[in-house]
Amino acid sequence: MKIGILSKRKTMFTGKIKNFLENKGFTVTVYTLENLAINENLLNNDFYILKSKNLFFLYAGYYLEANNIPVIPKPQMSFIQKNRIHSHFLMKRIGLFTPEIYLGTVDTFKNQLNLDDFPFILKPIMGSGSKGVRIIRTYDEIKSENNTILYMERYINGIHYNVYFIDNEICTLIKPPLSHEHVDMKKIETPDDIRNVIQKWRNYFNGELLFGHLDMVREDASNNLFTVDVGSFPEFSQWKCRISPVDRICELILKKYENLK
Amino acid sequence: MKKIGIIIDKYHLKYKVSEFLKYLNSKADVKIYTEETFLLDSSKIEFDENLFFVKGKGDLILAFIKLIEDLTNIPVINSYRGTWLAINRFLNSVILRGAGIPIPDFSLNPKGSIPPFEDYIIKNIIDQKNWKFKPIVHKENGRLKVADERALNEVDKVDPKYNYLYYQKFIKSKWEFKIYGIGDEIYFYKQIPILINPNKIESRRKIDREPELEEYCYKAMEVMDLKLTSMDFLKSKEQFFLTDINCTPNFNYIKDGHKLVADFLLKQAKI
Repeated sequence: MKIGILSKRKTMFTGKIKNFLENKGFTVTVYTLENLAINENLLNNDFYILKSKNLFFLYAGYYLEANNIPVIPKPQMSFIQKNRIHSHFLMKRIGLFTPEIYLGTVDTFKNQLNLDDFPFILKPIMGSGSKGVRIIRTYDEIKSENNTILYMERYINGIHYNVYFIDNEICTLIKPPLSHEHVDMKKIETPDDIRNVIQKWRNYFNGELLFGHLDMVREDASNNLFTVDVGSFPEFSQWKCRISPVDRICELILKKYENLK
Repeated sequence: MKKIGIIIDKYHLKYKVSEFLKYLNSKADVKIYTEETFLLDSSKIEFDENLFFVKGKGDLILAFIKLIEDLTNIPVINSYRGTWLAINRFLNSVILRGAGIPIPDFSLNPKGSIPPFEDYIIKNIIDQKNWKFKPIVHKENGRLKVADERALNEVDKVDPKYNYLYYQKFIKSKWEFKIYGIGDEIYFYKQIPILINPNKIESRRKIDREPELEEYCYKAMEVMDLKLTSMDFLKSKEQFFLTDINCTPNFNYIKDGHKLVADFLLKQAKI
């Protein structure tokens, strides 16, 4: 069987997946932004793993699906998690607490935001994790080139969690605010309300969401649990629970593909 | 009186809708939300409009459509899906071809990687800005290579960061067919292709209903969830090819277009 992996890099988790699948006897090709051309040449593989959510990998995923080549996870699911506007309104619809969002130009923010509402978190509309994310404490820190539209969220003051899930296994870690996935984090027992949020999130996708992660903050003032970011395919670099992420994820993907055939 | 919200950017407000607004204001309560001055606050979802009409495709406009669709029952024309697909050229090519509408062959390649066809036109991948098509024509060994200046400017930018080009197989055609869809009504025009005569209006003329184009137009509107659109077709060897689809058509090019669109919106707005 020939498997393609759509990934921004060939190393790290992608490299481990490739090794695992090759050891099982499969032929695996990794497509990065250096060698990915989206046309009929892609149709030579039996199925694809969508590791990265860069727009071009999503395009490739949609193209493959339209040509009846399975893509795991599904591109539309990954897109919803990559696009912060989509994920925000989805979380609201399914009843999760999530910080209010604001979009506008620098001038609009300066003229219409209330000083009492600071700080905010500035984030890219398309993205996940901490890339391009920064805290905004004053009007002067709101800047953009060409008065482009900015996306900001209300900052939630509280305990920050990085919560991984692989099938029914949940691994909860306390992390420093606004940090990326790779900083050292402290594992804790998963509280019931975090388990419930994961369950609600996965239920929306009707069993299609095999793994992923949510960033959450427990607000000091209210004790409410806010989901502040979602990710469809993290590196699992801080996974500190039982099972091996690489082995289990590859097994889940292969099982999914078998069910789709 | 019905209440209509207009979600628009400054460019369209200044140059494209003056007659339309004058007419609509005489028929409805109109409130204008301008992308460059409106603060979208996701906690504020109390709107009393009977319908929102979108004239623009910027990030705030897309977010506003999503908010209205997800958190209220107010209809929006065009929808989030229609607008998003229309601005993502590669995605709409995939979807339209999947629906059986003839699309010229296309490929998305890293810069420097040759597309799998010889005569081609390079187009912008994300058609979100209000810039006009500026063709750069290059002939090499009898082969035609056309690039849209916007596409070349798009490449290598920092944000969004990518180095891809969208290639569409070049279709040689005597005429370019411009089709407008306003709800169930289709309007047919043709003009000399812009590469031959950049003044597209000079040669534009109304033509009779063309059943094949009409069928493609209805199908494209259905699969992309567009209620208002314009489409460009080229014709080669008796075969039409859909080359462009637009979610913010300039309806001023149709006779009484502003009235047709306003009346259509008023019909869609339910009290």
